[in-house]
Amino acid sequence: MGGNFIIVMNIIRLSILIILGLGAIWFAWRVFMTSSMVRSALSLLASMAILGMMFLVMEAEFLGVLQIMMMATEMSIMAIFMMMYMMDPGGMGNMDMSHQKKLSIGTSLVAGAMVIVAVSFSNWETIATEVPTPAKQNYDLGMELMKRSMMIFETAGTSILVAMIVSTATALPFKNKKDD
Amino acid sequence: MIELIVVLSVGAVLFGIGIYGALSQTNLVMIMMGIELMLGAAMLNLVAFWRYLHPEEYSIQMFVLVGMTVMALEAAVGFAIATQRFRTKGSVEMEEASDLKE
Repeated sequence: MGGNFIIVMNIIRLSILIILGLGAIWFAWRVFMTSSMVRSALSLLASMAILGMMFLVMEAEFLGVLQIMMMATEMSIMAIFMMMYMMDPGGMGNMDMSHQKKLSIGTSLVAGAMVIVAVSFSNWETIATEVPTPAKQNYDLGMELMKRSMMIFETAGTSILVAMIVSTATALPFKNKKDD
Repeated sequence: MIELIVVLSVGAVLFGIGIYGALSQTNLVMIMMGIELMLGAAMLNLVAFWRYLHPEEYSIQMFVLVGMTVMALEAAVGFAIATQRFRTKGSVEMEEASDLKE
């Protein structure tokens, strides 16, 4: 009885992962196939949120929730920027916004196929069946951040600070002294 | 084993779509979207490696957090460049950016 239950749960989890994966791929494809920029930002949001759901199915609760929260805000900001900067944000003019199509399709197909071949023919180690409980995961991740990975964590924080300064400095209006 | 291969294959396809977007789009914001997709695929792979190969190893989750930071930084700096470009040239079309060579 217990063995059957585990097998059924595994099949259900695999099916959910496949459905979510296909959804993520579909929305990622829609990003570059629609001419409306808002739709393309929202498709990317959907694709990233589905990735967050896949994290949740893979029992990485903290990372899943973090992914969904971060991408929801980031893609909303991206949609606003696209409205500001695109020549045809609504996609009413059906402008072609792409170039070097053959090269990009070829490169993406070759890269994707190479990774899939590498994944399929790799000799993976023993697959883990159980993961720590969410509470233990959070505790251990916190300990990892505060102990062994402290330097990486602090470097990430400093990089955010540097990026904030750089982006503010870059976005300031350029003033030519000769015009004064 | 099948779950790991399924998730890694989804990551591979997303990475391919990201490369297509980054190479084929002419608009800076769309190119950034392609890069975000590639980073998302990398994070999916990392979570799959953590879940199916090393669930006790938290440096992999740490790596995912660094990946998320890189996504946010890329967006911030990219939008700053887009803002400056739009202010000075009135467009963020990257085919017109060849004037940077001069």
